[in-house]
Amino acid sequence: MLRLVAVRLLAAVPVLLVVSLVSFGLTLLVPGDMAAELAGPSATAADVARLRESLGLDQPLLGRMLAWYAGLAQGDLGRSVLLNQGVGAAILERLPVTLSLAFLGLGVACAIGIPAGLIAAKNVRRWPDQATMGASLIGLSLPDFWLGLLLIWVLGVKLQWLPTGGFIPLSEDPLGWLRSVAMPAGTLALTQLGPIARMTRSAALEVASSDFIRTARAKGLSEIRVFARHVLAGALVPILTVAGIGFGLSLGGALVIEQVFSLPGVGRLVIGSVLRRDWPVIQGGLLVIAFVFVLVNLLVDLLYLWADPRLRAQS
Amino acid sequence: MNFLRRPAFLVGLVLVGVVAIAAIAAGWIAPFDPVKNNYRYRLGAPNDLYLLGTDRYGRDVLSRILFGAGVSLRIGLAVAVLSGLAGASIGLISGWWRPADAWLMRVMDGMMAFPGLLLAIALAATLGPSEATAIVALTVAYTPRTARVMRAAVLVARALDYVEAARAVGANTARILAKHILPACAAPLAVQQTFVFAVAILAEAVLSFVGVGPPPPQPTLGSIIADGRDTLVEAPWIALAPGTVIAMLVLGLNLLGDTLRDALDPRMRGMLR
Repeated sequence: MLRLVAVRLLAAVPVLLVVSLVSFGLTLLVPGDMAAELAGPSATAADVARLRESLGLDQPLLGRMLAWYAGLAQGDLGRSVLLNQGVGAAILERLPVTLSLAFLGLGVACAIGIPAGLIAAKNVRRWPDQATMGASLIGLSLPDFWLGLLLIWVLGVKLQWLPTGGFIPLSEDPLGWLRSVAMPAGTLALTQLGPIARMTRSAALEVASSDFIRTARAKGLSEIRVFARHVLAGALVPILTVAGIGFGLSLGGALVIEQVFSLPGVGRLVIGSVLRRDWPVIQGGLLVIAFVFVLVNLLVDLLYLWADPRLRAQS
Repeated sequence: MNFLRRPAFLVGLVLVGVVAIAAIAAGWIAPFDPVKNNYRYRLGAPNDLYLLGTDRYGRDVLSRILFGAGVSLRIGLAVAVLSGLAGASIGLISGWWRPADAWLMRVMDGMMAFPGLLLAIALAATLGPSEATAIVALTVAYTPRTARVMRAAVLVARALDYVEAARAVGANTARILAKHILPACAAPLAVQQTFVFAVAILAEAVLSFVGVGPPPPQPTLGSIIADGRDTLVEAPWIALAPGTVIAMLVLGLNLLGDTLRDALDPRMRGMLR
């Protein structure tokens, strides 16, 4: 068991290596002089030179790379040029907003999408299946940021039920927090529902056609029992996979949704930095988001071992 | 080829076809110049002259949408083709030549650890916003998924009996790849790239919405929505109309992809996406 866990942990190492290399390499693609661009058109040559030195751009490539990894090893992601703040601190400050949005959206989407997918699988090619699959196809075809604006227009502007944007921390006012995240999380959930219902359906169909289900039927178990005890148990691993993929989608979606609802999360920070060309923040944002993604997938991998005794038996 | 008569396929074809024809004909059918201001009719509600109203510079929203849809289709198609070529090459090498497999797939895993959109936004901003960089950024972001699908297809194909037989009779690698492996992988690749086409249109809209898509004055569906966002209370039509066009295109492509997948290989049902 311990060996299996160690193997999974080791598998994440090359992924993190690629992630850190891509995040570092991004700035190499900047055309022209990065320091001059950051300093702005009114900066003097001395200003540009000072900025170049503080960013380490006067160092050779290898030196910059070593400095980047030395920083990472100490948890130092560099300093934001425009926020006058450490990148790590700026991101950590905003990460809870992004994560709570992603998990809330995913939670709602799973709570509705997984049962919907199971119902569709149970009634395959009959109307509940066709209705669910049709609705989920439409759901996954809508641009999430546009759906958010549509909700703002209907629920915020027309009906005035919910605030149109802004964020209230949970610690300040729980009800206000819920009202401020209800629409963004709802938007996220609506766009995640489709993929989750579809993936759950195909996973359940796969399980339902396997031998152990035929055996369960053959020994005379009721249809309900077969479904609740055997199909569900067998579908647990695929559903975990669905949740894992869903988290990745949800995280990516949350970054954009924040922008629509003016939530102070990592997505808004990174997209704001993209527009102001604050490279250290962009690099740090990419790195941290990918790190979270890898971490959650690692967790899903470990949950597989718990959910599927066959995987444990392999060792 | 009886999938051609399936209602889902026809609906998809009509949705994509209507938007595509309107976008291609934009130069002739657009009632106004999409970038021409009319300060006497700013934020005008839809009427007989301006069917979808005007934006805050008095530009005709319908004309802007027609030209914007062309940008979406161009970028989506280019990304589908280019990430198809790149992904198929990487997947083919990975699936066929085992020594490269572990290395290539680790790199792909690493790229897939970034949300595709975030990577594309960062890349597009880094390279400087333009139509070409949007294509490059989205291609880089979506190639790993295609490579994975292609690799899986190659692994299945290389174990097929007739491939074994071809090897046994002494066919060289180039011949086996061209004659047997590639044709066997064409179906899953085509299905995957139809979905990439759809996803790329959604992603391009986001790039434009956050301001790293093709720069103004080029109208894009995402940038029209971004404009409309600021005037959502006074002029909701600006933001609402272009989203409907995106949804039509993406829904149409998803329907085409779904029916194509079911028709080409029923066993693949649910494997992709």
